[in-house]
Amino acid sequence: MDISMASMTASAYDTAEEDFQRFFEKWRDKQIEILQKLNNASEQFSGGSGTGSGSPPVPTDPSSMVKHVVGLYEGYYRDRSKWADKNVLSMISPPWTSTLEDAFLWIGSWRPTMAIHLLYSKSGLQLEAKLSESILQEIASATTTKYDLADLSASQLGKVDELHRKIITEEKEISEKYAKQQERATDQDMVNLSHMVSEFMRGEEKGLSRRDREAEEEQIKSTLNLKEKGLRKVLKKADDLRLRTLKMVIEIMTPKQAIHFLIAATELQLRLHEWGMAKDARELDYGDAHSSYTPPEQT
Amino acid sequence: MAGLCRGANIGGETETAKPVEPSSQSARRRRMEIHQFRFVASDTAVAPPLESGRRKRQRLGSADVPSGRACDNAVQNSIVDERKIPAGPGSEKDADSNKCCPSISSSSSEIKPAVELASDVPKFGMTSVCGRRRDMEDAVSIHPSFSREVPESSTDLHFYGVFDGHGCSHVAMKCKDRMHEIVKDELERVGENDSWENKMKRSFSRMDEEVTQWSTAVGITSPCRCELRTPQCDAVGSTAVVAVVTPDKIIISNCGDSRAVLGRDGKAVPLSVDHKPDRPDELERIQEAGGRVIYWDGARVLGVLAMSRAIGDNYLKPYVISEPEVTVIDRTDEDDCLILATDGLWDVVSNETACGVARMCLQSLKPPSPVRSPGNQDATTISAARESSDKACSDASILLTKLALARHSTDNVSVVVIDLRKNRS
Repeated sequence: MDISMASMTASAYDTAEEDFQRFFEKWRDKQIEILQKLNNASEQFSGGSGTGSGSPPVPTDPSSMVKHVVGLYEGYYRDRSKWADKNVLSMISPPWTSTLEDAFLWIGSWRPTMAIHLLYSKSGLQLEAKLSESILQEIASATTTKYDLADLSASQLGKVDELHRKIITEEKEISEKYAKQQERATDQDMVNLSHMVSEFMRGEEKGLSRRDREAEEEQIKSTLNLKEKGLRKVLKKADDLRLRTLKMVIEIMTPKQAIHFLIAATELQLRLHEWGMAKDARELDYGDAHSSYTPPEQT
Repeated sequence: MAGLCRGANIGGETETAKPVEPSSQSARRRRMEIHQFRFVASDTAVAPPLESGRRKRQRLGSADVPSGRACDNAVQNSIVDERKIPAGPGSEKDADSNKCCPSISSSSSEIKPAVELASDVPKFGMTSVCGRRRDMEDAVSIHPSFSREVPESSTDLHFYGVFDGHGCSHVAMKCKDRMHEIVKDELERVGENDSWENKMKRSFSRMDEEVTQWSTAVGITSPCRCELRTPQCDAVGSTAVVAVVTPDKIIISNCGDSRAVLGRDGKAVPLSVDHKPDRPDELERIQEAGGRVIYWDGARVLGVLAMSRAIGDNYLKPYVISEPEVTVIDRTDEDDCLILATDGLWDVVSNETACGVARMCLQSLKPPSPVRSPGNQDATTISAARESSDKACSDASILLTKLALARHSTDNVSVVVIDLRKNRS
């Protein structure tokens, strides 16, 4: 498939955009479902009974539960890759995210090192919870259960740190590649083309010449296609690092720890989206009501 | 860039290096070797006891000593007690770890420490993580038996150093590679009968000179971040807190805001005082030298550096100096442990809490299960106890690191815990 934005008619674009929107909504629903499964699993595996009624079927052991969720993520990233072929620009600036989420985006989605920070934060919270339960002795003892993230062992912490540095390096490399692609927005082709088109427009205004609009469109399309191609490559690298990061973090953890990690990750993504949407909606309301004037202190 | 040299792997390589000798004696030797390499990592020079004299050479046989430089180019990695969980087969062995491991494993197959020798080497545990930072600028250097007391004496000296770089990592890395060699050189100078304080001050001064010469003369060839900032390489430095442990003394030399704390009889005894620009005597010294301390996100020398002493930082001389404050303290039977750490720990964990956690870990000795000592089923009780103690130190350093991360430490975190208890079972 090679439908670039420029070649689409308005209606075809709308349809693609609608599918695109649905793709995201489907994934968000999936995430809600994943969270529910993970929570059930977590309760079930920690001895309590799952919430039971109406909940989706849950794999019977932590390890296959984690595999199941990782499988879903793999599917999601396969879909992302397909959409990147069709519509890379919307993947990099997703129309479905809130301004809050946009502020935290790295090349269209979450920044890979965030996974490590999330792990440290969740692990820290669970460790502090244990400390306040004053069972420090137990944590310190050799026989840790590796049940939740407070129990990250020495070897796990070492591997996480090692992975962290690896991800930082890769992330920096991809950021550099992204920088190069962004800089290509001002390469000679673009500057020349924009000048040419501007001159045509000026000439036409003066009635000097008629524009060959078709040739012009063609040239714009091919020039922008090249840019999209470069961006697509970077996006795919970024997505690849995201999925690998997720899998590598999970690989370091025991299945039960991985469930805690996945719960934390999903909770954060879902809530961040909700908070951002709510905030945007409030500001939109406010903007409508005060369309002529927005006081500076209102942010 | 993995570079994790794990005890488990090294143990394995040792075994393949010496397939014969199936006696329990050799098994014990192997274990001793393992415990000396348990915490090796590439940004962390953990050398085996040096062949520093005749006596040692006799005991050790031919020892090909891996210096920290073997790991020179392997970038920043962490250290871990890998033996809690046996590592996945070859999972972490990439180019860097291969770069780092061979020298260590080869020496581990050559060095055959006698059991009684190892017994006077204090156990230690060490952790060094990048944490919530995007750059790793900490370095740790551990060299058991790196030197001997002069004049001619049979007591081993042990070296532990923690370095927290700023601006870039290369000064800290240089300290990791060189400081112990310089200190050794100063300590073993013939005909010198100088005080600990003077020897350590000379060592730090030489370290500082080396760093300065290296960064001005050669230019930076290593792939540092600061490449982009040349010729501003002067704006790079490192803290240094160095402990030399003898059978009856601890000598702490500190320069900067890393810290050494002694756990003694359940209490925390700080053995260094952080060099902060707003410390009254430091403030006075800086002002007398014509410098100013400006409050800009905390007290900073000339509004730049948030510590008043450091190795490197040429551009802030003479306000920022590399002269260490040296503390010499006698070891007692009440000593539990010595903790060296960077401010990644001390910013969020108090001296008392740190010592409490370490002491608790050291006291919660349990006989290790066979699972935790793979390949050593014929473990004797003595070595079992030792392993356990070693593991306790590692547990302590890990737990302190996790605590620092839990408490939102935003810096690199490096922690060394040294077991100082003299009458271990």
